[in-house]
Amino acid sequence: MSQIFHPRFGLFVKLALLALLILASAAVLAWRGLTNEQHRIGEAVEQPVPFSHKHHVGDDGIDCRYCHATVETDAFAGIPPISTCMTCHSQLYTDQAMLAPVVQSWQRGVALHWQRVHQLPDFVYFNHSIHVAKGVGCESCHGRVDRMALTMRTQPLSMKWCLDCHRAPQKYLRPREQEFAMGWKPQDQEKLGLALVERYHVDTRRLTDCSVCHR
Amino acid sequence: MSRPTALDALRTRLGDARGPRYWRALEELIEQPDWRDRLQEAFPQLSQLEPKVDRRGFLRLLGASLALAGLGACSRPPQEQLVPWVRRPDELPPALPRFYASTLACAGDVAGVLVETHQGRPTKIEGNPAHPMSLGATSPAMQAAVLELWDPDRSQAPLREGVPASWDEFREQAEALAARHARDGRGLHVLGGRIDSPTLAAQRAAWLARFPGSRWFQYEPVDEDNALAGARLAFGTPLRARYRFDQAKVVLALEADFLGSLPGALRHARDFTGGRQPEAAVFNRLYAVEASPSLTGAKADHRWPLASAQVGSFALELGELLGLPGVHAAQSSGIAARRLRALAQDLQAQRGSALVLAGRTQPPWVHALAHLLNEALGNVGRTVEYYAPPEPWESAGEGLRELIAAMAAGRVDTLLVLDGNPAYAAPVDARFAELLAKVPHRLHLGLYRDETASACQWHLPRSHALESWSDLRATDGSASLVQPVITPLYDSRSVHELLAMFLGDTRGERERVQATWRGQAGADLDGFWTASLQAGVIARSAPPARRAPVDAAFLAQRPAAAEPASLELLFAPDPTVWDGRYANNGWLQELPKPLTTLTWSNVALVSPELALAHGLENGDALELRIEGRHTQAPVWVMPGQAARSVTVCLGYGRRAAGRVGERLGFDAYALRSLAAPWRGGGLQINRTGARYALATTQRHHAMEGRAPVRAGTLEDFRVHPAFAKDPPAPPSLYPDRPRGEYAWGMSVDLNACIGCGACTLACQAENNIPVVGAEEVERGREMHWIRVDRYYEGEAAAPRIHHQPVPCMHCEHAPCEMVCPVGATVHDTEGLNVQVYNRCVGTRFCSNNCPYKVRRFNFLQYSDLATESLKAQRNPDVSVRNRGVMEKCTYCIQRIETAHIAADREGRRITDGEVLTACQAACPTQAIVFGDQQDPATAVSRQKASPRNYALLEELNTRPHTTYLAAIRNPHPALEDDA
Repeated sequence: MSQIFHPRFGLFVKLALLALLILASAAVLAWRGLTNEQHRIGEAVEQPVPFSHKHHVGDDGIDCRYCHATVETDAFAGIPPISTCMTCHSQLYTDQAMLAPVVQSWQRGVALHWQRVHQLPDFVYFNHSIHVAKGVGCESCHGRVDRMALTMRTQPLSMKWCLDCHRAPQKYLRPREQEFAMGWKPQDQEKLGLALVERYHVDTRRLTDCSVCHR
Repeated sequence: MSRPTALDALRTRLGDARGPRYWRALEELIEQPDWRDRLQEAFPQLSQLEPKVDRRGFLRLLGASLALAGLGACSRPPQEQLVPWVRRPDELPPALPRFYASTLACAGDVAGVLVETHQGRPTKIEGNPAHPMSLGATSPAMQAAVLELWDPDRSQAPLREGVPASWDEFREQAEALAARHARDGRGLHVLGGRIDSPTLAAQRAAWLARFPGSRWFQYEPVDEDNALAGARLAFGTPLRARYRFDQAKVVLALEADFLGSLPGALRHARDFTGGRQPEAAVFNRLYAVEASPSLTGAKADHRWPLASAQVGSFALELGELLGLPGVHAAQSSGIAARRLRALAQDLQAQRGSALVLAGRTQPPWVHALAHLLNEALGNVGRTVEYYAPPEPWESAGEGLRELIAAMAAGRVDTLLVLDGNPAYAAPVDARFAELLAKVPHRLHLGLYRDETASACQWHLPRSHALESWSDLRATDGSASLVQPVITPLYDSRSVHELLAMFLGDTRGERERVQATWRGQAGADLDGFWTASLQAGVIARSAPPARRAPVDAAFLAQRPAAAEPASLELLFAPDPTVWDGRYANNGWLQELPKPLTTLTWSNVALVSPELALAHGLENGDALELRIEGRHTQAPVWVMPGQAARSVTVCLGYGRRAAGRVGERLGFDAYALRSLAAPWRGGGLQINRTGARYALATTQRHHAMEGRAPVRAGTLEDFRVHPAFAKDPPAPPSLYPDRPRGEYAWGMSVDLNACIGCGACTLACQAENNIPVVGAEEVERGREMHWIRVDRYYEGEAAAPRIHHQPVPCMHCEHAPCEMVCPVGATVHDTEGLNVQVYNRCVGTRFCSNNCPYKVRRFNFLQYSDLATESLKAQRNPDVSVRNRGVMEKCTYCIQRIETAHIAADREGRRITDGEVLTACQAACPTQAIVFGDQQDPATAVSRQKASPRNYALLEELNTRPHTTYLAAIRNPHPALEDDA
């Protein structure tokens, strides 16, 4: 029986397979690139003003609630109005180029547009106030904000990640006095957590109900 | 099925009550075979899904959709932005919803409301518990006011000859016109609606002082002319009645729909059902005599169908029986003497706590006779009192006739149409549009570019009631303020602002309204103003009651001749779109009309007898002809309709309404005449052979006749209080659910439900429920999470009518949960059966397995995601669902969670009544109670402890959290056997 394929045909096959592989990987990469989140974990987000939490929280020691004023009462923690910035910056660093957009916004009455760093899907109804009331510290979700020169996301904010805590809140809860502290470490988290679950009346039966977060 | 068979069956069945005890449609009663087939389809929606594609086409589509399925995910979530205030207003945190007290005039009624706003956007209307005519309740039309506000078809800029113009240009025109009529105003005519606003009344007075020769008419297509003329006959002066249904033990409604279309219905319904508490042994009795079934008739203990023209004779017979001097019935109305005697005896026995009312179709003398009966029975001052309305109350019909005459004679130089649509809504013999074209200067102010707008040289957009300052007086005489909750969305002006332009009044909108109330305010205007705005009602604004003796002289003048035995034609406002003004409101169009369950159309209601005689079936085209006026209308065979009466509803057949409201139904104004706007004799009908497709929901979501609605008489209840209860459910194989802190439950009192549909619409507004359109409703795909089923009981000629709201039952052992392959419908620990939209893949197994048929599937992309203004209307606390997703009642989970978070934050329990579901809040009669059924002290637990409590399809052992209280009727003991 004679040979059906020419000997050089093997090369074509190999080349074709290689091309297919390259194409497939390119497609996968392109798809990944198109659909992943806007900002990866640990990647600083570009903002109209390079606002530094490190400076304001870490160096100056301003309390979170000075700017995020509704975090204890409202679903939304609140982005401060420019008037809040102006409580200091009408006096301090007024001529810095970095601050110019803030000053202009104040003078012209045109709002600043910040890029959102912590973004949840629309079908998730997250409420800050209840988390703060039940002893979830800022740091648990937002990371060491006091060390961020530019604000970034440190947690995946995926449903699995939410459920880690909703299934076992004792692993993360802190006393209310320590919620706004950065870098706070308990001696025995498990023991403290269980006591806090009790003290703050965290109804663990319903924490994983769909209706708690989705409506 | 061929026509003769059905009719033969009907012929044999008519008057024979051997059919099913409760039935929903005539076809069911007569057991039409193809009807059975339809009912047996587990999923009638799918019968319309007969694939139009062949097998190969189907496979091709399947392959393509698989291949493209991944592409849907090929975009990252959009980058959101945070835009803070530059200066935050000194107020509460902006993210919390805020409620503003205001007042709405909707569908002929005025009631106080609370407008819910999210970040400054009005999204929902609630009733104002402090307002005497609302007491927290709302009507469907009030609920729909937010959609009207955000309607993208609203008029957005002034038009001059159809070309966009500016208000500055109009101001010049207005000044020119004012100067032209400066001498005495002759030739200047204003055509407005009913004057409910004290500020408008003041402006009218100023107008007439400024232009003494000018004329101002109040035209309403749905008028109260007969009540006005009746009051003039009885008292010599126009007095309005204030009813106290809570004091009434026996009520006689002479075609008076006081629970439905008459002003004050919200309060009347609350007071009336408050007097029907079987457990507390207080129970009034309602007699209704009417031609066409109304909500009032449906609730009546005795409803006697009677031609509208005979109702007067009936009242005379009753008066004679009660021994009223001067009252003689020349002829019999046809109501059996034994019924009359029982009624007369009942009224006599309850002297002082009886009440007789006449409706708007009844001529003035019947209204006067009702006043006379109330006086003779000693009811005045107890169940009814009279007051002189502070605003001018004038006849709509007379005004229109005078205007028509002036227009025909060329005496009208300028016509200013203030927020009305007479080119559409005037009786056809007025030939309004034709005469209007001859008026030299025509101006129109209105919410839409409607028929009148296009017939006028100037059309001016009106600000919505939620965008402007005003004041309104409710039907009990109490006044309240209208405050804007948003700045006008478009370049519009209110009625007050427009008039001010002519009057040279430069005050601000608020100052103008404040000026009206300066006299009432006393020294502290600011304090008075703030208090009135906060309370939502102006203290001591209702005029005092007046004693007015009835002058019986009218009895001598009443027209003696009865009408011949011809067919009579009756007009009624549409239960949802009213006189046509809400035609472009999709929510109201799709709300099933309470008695016919029709959507998106009006019909001519005929009695089963008449249908039989003429071989008519639902949807047949019928030529209606009366005194030379004629039109064609679809037929609806209405059980309980008086044999020789045909009723048509106004409000359809709009020619210029907007994208939603045009080319629907037929124009009943084409049959109306100036002389007899409510009732005419000598109607001729003729079947044309054509057919109309009618979108009715009466056959949808059937529960296979397993006694879903239960009712008994008061006597039954006394003998056997638990008559409606099933034997206890057998033990279940399923394990019990773990108990949470709360177990949410709902109780619906069918004894209180009047079937108005406010719950359905409130739910639609609260839960972002889309509108699907007539075609989709025909396929059974309406999306309402709470439907109101209507059942008939007994014979077709005079059935008893029942209403039953059906939301999701939130079963403890929910059949839907067992069959979902992806866990998209699951139970939570507080007893809710929750639907997870993001998990749902649209198998619809759950809906198939739901015995209550309460699940709704998004067969198509029903939610309008494109129209910008509608986005602003939506409730931000509820997900907007897309195509391919199942949805259903959530017990307003967003409201539960809001209360949960507030309570948990403070470390306390949710108090009883802290969570009100949307349907519960809107209900005029508080038929729906919601709360924690685990706690025996809550209202819902107390209600569920009633012996009348029963669960739907209890034998299925689903253990529903929504249960019902059986309805109780209180028939006269001597009339026990009849309806």
